[in-house]
Amino acid sequence: MIDRIIIDGLAFSLPLFAMAIGGIFSEKSGITMLALEGIQGFGAFCGAVAFALLQPLIPGGTQVIIYPVLAAAMLGGMIFALLHAYMSIRFRLNQVISGVVVNILAMSLTIFLTGLINERLTGEPSNKIWLGAAPRFSVPGLSKIPVIGAIFRDLYIFAPFIVLFALISGILLYRTRFGLRLRACGENPQSVEAAGCSVKRIRYLALALCGLLTGLGGMNFAFTFSANFSPTIYMGYGYLAIAALICGNWDIRRTLFTCLIFGFARSGGYQLILKLGMSSDLSDLFLMIPYVLTLLLLLFLSRHNHPPSALGSDYEYDRR
Amino acid sequence: MKRETKRKDSARRASFARLLIPLASVLLTFMVLTAVFLLIGRNPLTAIYSFFQGSGLGMKSSYTSSSSMLTDFFSYLGILSPMLLGSLGVVVGLRGGLFNIGVSGQMLLSGFTATVLVGYSKLSPALAIPLVLLIGLLTGALLGAVIGWLKYRFNVHEVVSSIMFNYIVSFLTGYFIKTRYVDPIIRSSRQVAANARLNLTFNTGSGLKLVIPVGIFIAVAMAFLIRFYLERTVGGFEIRMVGFNRHGAAYAGVPIRNVMVRTMLISGALAGLAGVTYYLGYYSTMVPKDLPSLGYDAIAVALLGNLGPIGCIFSSALITVFQKGAVYMSSATGVVREIASLVTGILLLFSSLGVSMRDRIRHYD
Repeated sequence: MIDRIIIDGLAFSLPLFAMAIGGIFSEKSGITMLALEGIQGFGAFCGAVAFALLQPLIPGGTQVIIYPVLAAAMLGGMIFALLHAYMSIRFRLNQVISGVVVNILAMSLTIFLTGLINERLTGEPSNKIWLGAAPRFSVPGLSKIPVIGAIFRDLYIFAPFIVLFALISGILLYRTRFGLRLRACGENPQSVEAAGCSVKRIRYLALALCGLLTGLGGMNFAFTFSANFSPTIYMGYGYLAIAALICGNWDIRRTLFTCLIFGFARSGGYQLILKLGMSSDLSDLFLMIPYVLTLLLLLFLSRHNHPPSALGSDYEYDRR
Repeated sequence: MKRETKRKDSARRASFARLLIPLASVLLTFMVLTAVFLLIGRNPLTAIYSFFQGSGLGMKSSYTSSSSMLTDFFSYLGILSPMLLGSLGVVVGLRGGLFNIGVSGQMLLSGFTATVLVGYSKLSPALAIPLVLLIGLLTGALLGAVIGWLKYRFNVHEVVSSIMFNYIVSFLTGYFIKTRYVDPIIRSSRQVAANARLNLTFNTGSGLKLVIPVGIFIAVAMAFLIRFYLERTVGGFEIRMVGFNRHGAAYAGVPIRNVMVRTMLISGALAGLAGVTYYLGYYSTMVPKDLPSLGYDAIAVALLGNLGPIGCIFSSALITVFQKGAVYMSSATGVVREIASLVTGILLLFSSLGVSMRDRIRHYD
């Protein structure tokens, strides 16, 4: 049972973590990011369309197709993240509103296009694009260790990517000149401009990175939790990722910690219902746990948090 | 003298922009819609007209004996009322600098509370209708006030907390509906008794039954009331002040915390009213775990209405045409009805860009 909690918990935490890192990139550069929900949905949609198109063409099953599909999802996420960037940087739209606009647009566009594509391909309007189960693997050797070994067992194929991207992001954000400038854009954009860099360009780049990571997370959710692309992708995981990064004080390591808490709270709740043999209606109450937990964590952590000081501000280089 | 004409000039330009920008975004949306219909090979004119036919604003080619254009129109008004009330909630929040994205959750909770407390009772309509409205108002206000309180007491961002509440309310009410109030055949909550529904039913002689929604009167009255409150009272002025510049307002002695909770309380109360007109007016059952998308459409309505209560009357009338008419449009032209939410999304995109354009025009004046 402990094994199950760890395996399922990680399967939920890791995509959430990928999306939260995306959010960190954006918010650290000074752009409020409420659009994660829409970005991950559009990314997942692009991935699903790529899957539907490539499946008849490429032999070898999901094992092979998964890589171009992931690339499509990440690119799709990037497109919508850049839409958010364009509206909030070029049009200087209120970033909270812009985020919601992106969410609603992504949701309606993907649902409409899914219906249209299904009508063209299969003749009957369905709101789902079938994906099938994602391949899983276990790390040989390590997965044999009792209890802790579960961390390396039945991992989704996305897991190594997310870990890799997380490491790269950590280095990029905290150990490079670009990362320093990106963080400065969120704290004091004037200083970045004074140092001879373009705040707007750095923010666009940050949002592009955000879109890549969020698209990856969205594709992962579509594969692992419903095995198809459908409107259920908009379950609020994007908002959960935002809450995770706020609880994590905009820091990648602490955000990983909060993501793990969400994941294990969720899988732990599930296992508890199974163990106690309770009715499936109660599962709704346990599905509620991550959200209640988020709210409680926010109550305790929000006051001591230090959001980037220029978060949500539009920046014009000639503004005094 | 010269300064006087200049000020008049800029005022005229501002009011011109206020009218022009929503009109331009509507026009652009219609152009995109036309392009979409052309792309998928449908006649855009008949398709767009069918939205209006479905909303009772144009004659359909045929009607059954128990329906007419008038029944369609009243049904349209029935769904227009929660849309208008919800958008007013968003407007009050945004004017106070708070973004109430939890309209859906507040609607769901108030609808559920009213359904459980009054919906299954045998009270006479004269008693039940005011009671339902009152319960909706109070429940929504309570949830809104909690969000506002969390914001000032614990610095929890209102967007995050209201979204968390959306999901919590959705799972919680879903659980109770499934276990206690379920109708096993339709898999949603048992139908609310006719006496508790916010409708006035008239039987005309010729077998035609007219169902006039009470909500529409309340919604329009609320629009004028909110306009009066925001523009003409101290309380409303404080809300706008905090929305415009929180630090400036604090410096001027406005009790920020008080105003923040009040803003969310009013916003939530309006969303609560929207909830009861939705679940006990237009519909009579609740689908478990289903957050009404109307709560998000209300944001588009509010932005398209230039964040003005009266503007919202017009913008909600337009967006509801697409939402309501989509079913008939779909059966008439065979296009998936999700196109309605796409139209709302595009309209929202253009109108929010319009808001930023208007701010810039004002900036240069």
